Amino acid sequence: MIQTMQINPNVSLSYIPMEWLKTTTLGIYIHRPLKEADASMNALLPYVLKRGCGLCKNTTEMAKYLENLYGASLSVGVVKKGDDQILAFDAESISDCFAPNQEPLTAQLCELLLSILTTPVTENGAFCNEFFTQEQNNAIDRAQSVINDKRTYAGLRCLEEMCKGEAAAISKLGTVEGLRQITPQSLYAYYQKLLGESVIDVFICGQTDIEKIRKMLATTLPTVSENALIPSEGIFRKNASVQTVTDRMDVTQGKLSLGLRTNIAPTDERMWGLIVGNSIFGAGAHSKLFNNVREKLSLCYYASSQLEKFKGLMFVNAGIEFENFQKAYDEILVQLDAVKKGDISDFELESSINALLNTYESAYDDQRMLQGFYLGERLAGTDYEIADYIEHIRKVTKEDVVRAMQAVELDTVYFLTGKEEQ
Amino acid sequence: MQLRKRTNTTTQETVYEGTHPSGLRICLMPKAGYRQNYAIFGTRYGSVDSEFIVPGETEITKVPDGIAHYLEHKMFDMPDGSNIFDRFAQYGANANAFTSFNMTAYLFSATSNLYENLSTLLEYVQTPHFTPESVEKEQGIIGQEIRMYDDNAGWKVFFNLLGCLYQNNPVKLEIAGTIDSIAQITSDYLYKCYNTFYNLSNMMLIVIGDIDIEKTVQTIDAGIRSNKPFDEEIKRIYPQEPEAIANAYSEQKLSVAQPLFMIGFKDRDVGYGGKPLLIKTIEMNILSTMLFGKGSELYKKLYDEGLINATFSAEFNPQIDYGFTAIEGESKNPKEVYEIITSYLESYTPERDAFERIKKVIWGDYIRSHNDIEEYAHTYLTTAFLDGDYFDYRSAYEQVSFESVVKRYQEHFKKEFSALSVILPTEA
Repeated sequence: MIQTMQINPNVSLSYIPMEWLKTTTLGIYIHRPLKEADASMNALLPYVLKRGCGLCKNTTEMAKYLENLYGASLSVGVVKKGDDQILAFDAESISDCFAPNQEPLTAQLCELLLSILTTPVTENGAFCNEFFTQEQNNAIDRAQSVINDKRTYAGLRCLEEMCKGEAAAISKLGTVEGLRQITPQSLYAYYQKLLGESVIDVFICGQTDIEKIRKMLATTLPTVSENALIPSEGIFRKNASVQTVTDRMDVTQGKLSLGLRTNIAPTDERMWGLIVGNSIFGAGAHSKLFNNVREKLSLCYYASSQLEKFKGLMFVNAGIEFENFQKAYDEILVQLDAVKKGDISDFELESSINALLNTYESAYDDQRMLQGFYLGERLAGTDYEIADYIEHIRKVTKEDVVRAMQAVELDTVYFLTGKEEQ
Repeated sequence: MQLRKRTNTTTQETVYEGTHPSGLRICLMPKAGYRQNYAIFGTRYGSVDSEFIVPGETEITKVPDGIAHYLEHKMFDMPDGSNIFDRFAQYGANANAFTSFNMTAYLFSATSNLYENLSTLLEYVQTPHFTPESVEKEQGIIGQEIRMYDDNAGWKVFFNLLGCLYQNNPVKLEIAGTIDSIAQITSDYLYKCYNTFYNLSNMMLIVIGDIDIEKTVQTIDAGIRSNKPFDEEIKRIYPQEPEAIANAYSEQKLSVAQPLFMIGFKDRDVGYGGKPLLIKTIEMNILSTMLFGKGSELYKKLYDEGLINATFSAEFNPQIDYGFTAIEGESKNPKEVYEIITSYLESYTPERDAFERIKKVIWGDYIRSHNDIEEYAHTYLTTAFLDGDYFDYRSAYEQVSFESVVKRYQEHFKKEFSALSVILPTEA
């Protein structure tokens, strides 16, 4: 259902028609390799660009422009997938057919996005100082605010400790020191090279005149200065023994996060068994973690596992009483071992497959989820359709699950505990 | 069961609605092209309903705080010892439930097996099964849920604000209750609440997706147990709430990077639902965006001074018995934000241009609200429990004028009915 066209060697435009929804979304994704030296620049740049452009010279004008498009939304951010740090620009409007006065809403929104990307507000060969300084401060706040949500924070810390020295350990939000060192001049110099030497994916999902959008992109984006590739270092195998890391903070609930290596790349045919195995192990109310750690032992409100397929990682997260650390840890490993040994009921296998089919098929009703799916496929280098997932996952057997899950190894045990706990 | 069909040509939406002889209100929404089906079975019963008179009785019943949420957790146990999640899992459905201040709802979404899932939903919500052992088992799980919220700054800043705005209204209490209050919950209490609030005449069922109307009706007919609808209202007893707020300021320390704040304005124009409440909600949504949206003067001033960041937002919360505007964000100096906002509101004059522009935004939001079938069904159900009709949104929208918004502004945004709640970082 996706139609992809190449605007130039680095820039692709993908159109996913979806006329049963009432909106059209536009996503522009600029791929950059995760590197200490650039991570803070990438984390800051989208926010500086969003402050003003040729079409709308400040936030107020931009807000009014969007309000006149019936409250169209425009947000920017930075996303991390594997070794790829993605500068993301996301916009959404009600589809043109719902515009009360037949306004071409999607084209107007696209015009704004392109103006943001290509005509920033500058002074003396650098970004406008006022915008830059405000956004630098906000970016520092964002980098510091990761501690606010302890559940997410524990997961991030586990990843950071587990992948120390690898690109994947670098924070997508940059670092406070890195952000402080950036100047309006250095960021502008970085920006000037960016569009010409990065892979850029543009997605439109909904209902629009795609040829019109294609022409807008082709005439506005700069020519390529260097042929680029999507950043990926593949998966990394480590043979060291399990490491344990404990952080102390002023919290009332402990957060346990286990980092595991699956040793399975997205292109590996064991991936299907791994996806189902993860579901049996800890992804949902049918899973072993939910039914044992939560329901049987009442140790927690949540205990779940998730895959990070680009780097071959798996994480288990649970919120527990401090003193239940050992009990919860032991039970999680008992359940992992059960999956590896093939101690899997027909019910568990069937429910996991059905839950996954439901998730993949549901993407057809959600424009951002669908864009995210196709983006992930491009990064993984697999280029599957949703239908391929459905077909493969439907056929996964218990043996496939065991073969995949036996490759999974515990790497890091992270525990966020209270200040007073021993 | 007779269903009435209504079609809206602007949004291209259709609904079939009616009341089953059991008293259950039913609403079916066909959505051609969608892969997912979604059903939500809700009762007009939430965390605020801890004191009530059962129809036919004269005595007041008082139950421990947090019981509506506790009851929700216990509905998943079946008499044969099985867990209903397992059945949904077999059919590939994603099942869940939630409890809010004024509603408890059970729901599922699935891309296949709609009728099996719908039968399962109807069956378990009509099958209470509580034993002392199963009730006790849940204390550990809910206890961890309560503790999880204790560390959640975004949650705490909100409840501390409600504690400032309300002297007696139970909306100020945590939905899940406290470790102490849930310790008092027994299976007898759960049955009492169930038999009162889960009477089908206090409930509503919505099914949405690419559904076959006739087959859906047949499934519902077959799944509804015999029920004697209440012929009078459940009398809910809420303590008298004075107009005045309880406190103007609250402060708590948690491990956060920088202070979080929430500023609230207590609505005193309360006590009604239906279309007037829908109109008020639209007026307040327009006003909140005019005052605090990214295109507003106030936003620019606060942002330029580095007092707020992109997390800044404002929202009006409409209910029949209470209402409030909540303005939240992160700031190095929440008190200054509060001072700037309250003094700005004293000199502000709404402009017609901004009104016209924001009214377009609200229209776009309305169109957009039909996209996500879960969100659409939730909004429809929430509006119905407020005695309103979301399908009639357009006529409410058209009654909103610049003059009515100006009047709303003058009544609502008064400093003496406002409060500031702050979460400060603990010293490192």
